[in-house]
This record gives sequence, structure tokens and C-alpha cells, in this order.
Amino acid sequence: MDIILNILSSGLPCVLLALGIFLTYRILDFADLTAEGSFLIGAAISAVMIFNGLNPWLATLAAFLGGCLCGVVTGVLNRYLKIPKLLSGIITMTAAASIAMLVMGAKDGNSSIFASTISFTNIVKGEGPQTIYSLCYPWQFNDIANRWMPVAPWAEIIKVAIMLGVVLVVMFGIYFFFGTEYGMAIRATGLNENMANSQGINANISTIVCVAIANGLIALGGSLYVQDVKTVSTVSAAGYLVVGLASILIGEAIFGKRSFKNWIISVALGSIIYFVIVTVATRLGLPTELKSLLYAALITIALCLPLIKSGFKKLFHIRQDIPGEAR
Amino acid sequence: MIELTNLTKIFNLSGDSRDKKVALDHVNLKINDGEFVTIIGSNGSGKTTTMNLIAGTYKPTEGEISLSGMPISHMEEFRRAKYFGRVFQDPRMGTTGEMSVLENLEIAYRRGKHHSPIRWGFSSETVRDYFISQVKQFDLGLEDRMNQKVGRMSGGQRQALTLLMAANDSRIDTRREFIQMNYDVASGPLNIELRNETDKAKQKEIKNKLKALKKECAEKAGKFYDEAKAEHARKVTKTSTPEEKLAGLVELSNKLHDYNGDRKILLLDEHTAALDPKTAKKVLELTDKIVRTKKLTTLMITHNMKDALTYGDRLIMFHHGHILHDISGKAKAKLTVDDLLKMFQEAGE
Repeated sequence: MDIILNILSSGLPCVLLALGIFLTYRILDFADLTAEGSFLIGAAISAVMIFNGLNPWLATLAAFLGGCLCGVVTGVLNRYLKIPKLLSGIITMTAAASIAMLVMGAKDGNSSIFASTISFTNIVKGEGPQTIYSLCYPWQFNDIANRWMPVAPWAEIIKVAIMLGVVLVVMFGIYFFFGTEYGMAIRATGLNENMANSQGINANISTIVCVAIANGLIALGGSLYVQDVKTVSTVSAAGYLVVGLASILIGEAIFGKRSFKNWIISVALGSIIYFVIVTVATRLGLPTELKSLLYAALITIALCLPLIKSGFKKLFHIRQDIPGEAR
Repeated sequence: MIELTNLTKIFNLSGDSRDKKVALDHVNLKINDGEFVTIIGSNGSGKTTTMNLIAGTYKPTEGEISLSGMPISHMEEFRRAKYFGRVFQDPRMGTTGEMSVLENLEIAYRRGKHHSPIRWGFSSETVRDYFISQVKQFDLGLEDRMNQKVGRMSGGQRQALTLLMAANDSRIDTRREFIQMNYDVASGPLNIELRNETDKAKQKEIKNKLKALKKECAEKAGKFYDEAKAEHARKVTKTSTPEEKLAGLVELSNKLHDYNGDRKILLLDEHTAALDPKTAKKVLELTDKIVRTKKLTTLMITHNMKDALTYGDRLIMFHHGHILHDISGKAKAKLTVDDLLKMFQEAGE
């Protein structure tokens, strides 16, 4: 129970991250390195707003919008200033580190903005900083629940439930949006810009919109993450790009990408599986210095999985179905 | 009517003078509505450049392109897409391989229209029936494969689909779009006048006229639109059969498009060059059929002399960025392949 909650609470914010990277990397074919920057911005914005006692839902929304802004900057750099995709992402990412520091008001970039960790038992209803998780925690229910099941980690369960709710809403939102007329236009832009142009789609605008939404989602992930761990520093986003990318690759390799719906779910599950592997490895006593090696191995395996699959089929003489009418 | 005046395109104008390349040199051309023009010429003679300039892939160095009097040479490519349908030489260029046949047709159906971020991307059953009825005339078996990815189709099927996407009538406009389109077409002659007028006072007069025209268009076209819609609503109700709904849709669409006279212009850039002879012939026949039944203004580039003679009612030959020959009507009908080859040889000398 404990380990499942642990995996979910660290995995669910990264589902949003993975979905954001998926939108740029897969839908738009735009290798967007802004991701780490917008993750940090999202975390910083919501941390500061919560620290100052503002409504955490407002802080979460602000984080989303801040991420969107990062995406717009990257998009404009690429589309209107004609800077290559990779470089425009790097530029925004670099700028975002500075802006996050400004937002947090810290000069060395390392000082924790949450002076102390906020523990759920100490939060009094309606007083002081609240996260979206503590806000939804039913305080009256607390006593009853504790009497019934004193050992159950109610705060954790509620937290995961809220995360899951946000993730599901986002997933449904993505599915709906990319099925609308404009979503279709964005997909066409990513797949064949030449065709999009000759069909009257403004490729500049649709690219910027998609990059903005993607980075908004990544920042939303950062916001959920920071409200969970309750501390943020400018280095806390490092390495998250790899996490997102690995999630996409693992999800696609295991669950496939037959239809758009299937694809989104694959990416989301890929993120969870990634954290299952990492958490299990840590619990089994994997030294911290070998962690990056594990990430690298995971990505390599995910990329080679189709090859391995077909190799197994040949090995056991399984007749491969010839793709006929439907895959 | 497409009108090219002094159209010039020089590549690498700002760079080293040795890299400068004059692709098109002061070309003047007038193509009337409903004309089917075939364009021939050796490689690098400026045929494709002309077509790209018309479609807006790049902007001319000098000169003007106008469409029924409306100057378009500085309009962005995606903005003028509503007037043109394009088929490219490469079958992969005009369609999206990762999307289904239906999705590709849906995108083409909304060409130049507003893409709503709320409305669902797949139109009603009736529109789907319309697509199927359109695809059926190709006789390529596409109607059974509407939900399959275009990437799985053969080059011929893809090119036929691109042709359909280019030639299909687009979605029925909203009332506002309809009035705007009506005004765009109607204001053409006045726009030419305005461009040629140098006197300030007279310019103002014309501008006032344009304003009055806009008001008139809004009234007349708006009234026509409302009436057509009302009539459509009377004929087609929720209880109508799918066939009746389809017929109603086609009737309404034709009525509105005819009123505005916004028949599309088809730009075909060697669209059969990548196909095998049998498929190429089939696609060409389909092209001819669609162009004739829909009375589309068409420009077709081809390297096949026989096709250039068989199809179309006007033949233009480009050479070194100039128009060398412009033959139409009976003179074109008399031409033979040998004549064309002779023309090529003369041009080379």
C-alpha cells in the first residue's frame, strides 16, 4: 500500500510532464527542450503563491499559464525569428532558470522557499499555506476515519486521488481538443506542414498554440510535484526531460499507439511504469550513483523493444500476421 | 480570372551576383474563368515558379498577381488557400499519411474556413455520405477504406485523394464568411480601378463606392443566405432519409457557391509524373472529368506532350522565364506532338 502510494504520488505529476512532451515531440515533431524550464517555472510560481497564502487552486492555474507563456516564447522564437527548434527550446530553458530564481526571490538559487516542510497533521483548516491536497482533505472526516482505520495513510490517499483527478481531466481534455477542428489542424501541421499550408491552416499559430499547451501541462505537472514535496530549488527540475521522454518511449513500446486515445493512455501508463521500475530498484538498494545509468538503460531498452519483440517471434517461429485491413 | 502582370522572380537577389537566378522575367498572362490550361517547358523554364507564386509558396520580386481583380501577391499562402486547390508532383505532399482518408477530407472540407477549437473534428453523417459519394466516382475502392491511414494507400490512390481534396467544395460558410466572400468577389473591378487611380480625390470616391458595395453585399447576400437556409430547413428535417439529407446538402452547397461564383482554381504540378502509365492515365481522366463537371479554372504543368495536347483548351510554353508560345482554341486542336517537339528544338537554339 505504502509503495503503491509512493509510486503514484511521484508518478502522476510526471504523467502531465510526459503528456506535455508527447504533444510537442510526437504530435508536432518539435523536439522541445523548454520542458525543464517550464517544469521549474510551474513549480516556482505555485510555491511562491502558496507560501504567500494564496489559494492553491489559483496557484496551480497560474503555474499552467506561466508554462503556456514559456511555450509561446519558444514558439515565437522558432516560427517568427526562425531560430532552429532545438535552439529556441534551449534559449527558453536557460531564461526560465533565471526567471524562476527571480520569482522565488532567491539569489543563490538553492534556498528553500518553504521555510519548513508543511506536514499535513499540523495544518489547521483555513489557516496558513495550503496545498490543493490539504485543501480537499476533509477535516471532519479525519477523526472518524482515524477511529475506523487509524493506520491508513488518509492524507496520502486523498493526495493521490486529487492528482489522479487532475491527470484524468487533462487526459480527457487532450483527447477532446485534438479531436476538434483546431486540434485536427494542429495534428496536420505536425505531420505535413506543406499540406497544412495549402489547406489554409496558419502553421505558425497552430505550432505556437500546441507548444504553449504542452508547456502549460508540463508546468502543471511541476505545480503538482511541488505541492507534494513542498520544496523547490532551481536544480530540482534537472533530469525531468529524460523522465518524460523515457515515459513516452516505454509506454509506446509496451502499450502501442494504435489510435490517439490508445496513444495518450500508453504515454500515461508509461510514466507510471517508469516510476515502478525506479522505485523498485531504489528499494532493492540501487546506489544513487547508478540511478542515471538505470535511466539510460531503460530508454535504450524501450527504444529497442520492437526489435526484441520481432527477434523473439523469429526465435520461436511465431507467424507474424501480415498487416491487412486493420492493424 | 487570374491575371499576372510583369511577374518577376529572382532567386538569391541579395546574395552574390553569380548566384542570382532569374526564374521569371516580366511575365504577363491572363487566364479566364473555366479555362483549362496546360503548361509545358523544359526544366528551369519557370513553370513551377509561376505556380508557386500563384499559390503563395513565395512572394514575387516584382509584379502583381490578381484574382478577379483582387490583388493577392502579398497575401500569405494559408490565406489564399481558400481560392486554390493544389496537387503536387509528390503524392506524399498533398495528404497526411498518418491520418485517415476521412480526416484528410475533413481538413480539406474546411479549407480557408475557421477552425473551431470546440466543434468536433468530424462533421455530420450527411457530410460523411457526401465524401463517400465523391470518393465512389473514382472507382478505386477508397469508399471502403475511409478509416484507414492514407499512408497505406498506393501513390495513385493518394494522388486521386489529393485531387479530390483540391477540387471539392468546401464547407458551407457561416453567414459572415458568406457575405465576406461575396464582397471579395464583387469588389474586384473596383479594386483594380483603385489601384490604377492616382488622383487622391478620385481614390476617395472609389473607397466610398467600396463602402456602399459592402453594405449592399451584406444586405443582398445575407438575404440570399437566409432564404437558402430556410428553404433547406423546409426540405430537410430530422426525419428525412440519409439520401434526402445528402441531396439537400449538395443542393444548398451548390446554390451558395454558385451565388458567390467562388469556384476554385486548380493548380496541378506534374501530378501524374510519379505514377505508372496506367494509373497516370486514370488520374488524368479523373482530373478532366472533375474539371469539366465543376467548370474549374485549371493550370496543369506536364512533361508529357501527348497529355498536354489531349487535355485542356489552351497550351502555354515557358522558356527561360518567358512565355514563348500561347496557343488556344482551334490552333491547339490542330497541334501534334511533332509540332511541340519542333517548338522545343527552336527554343533551344
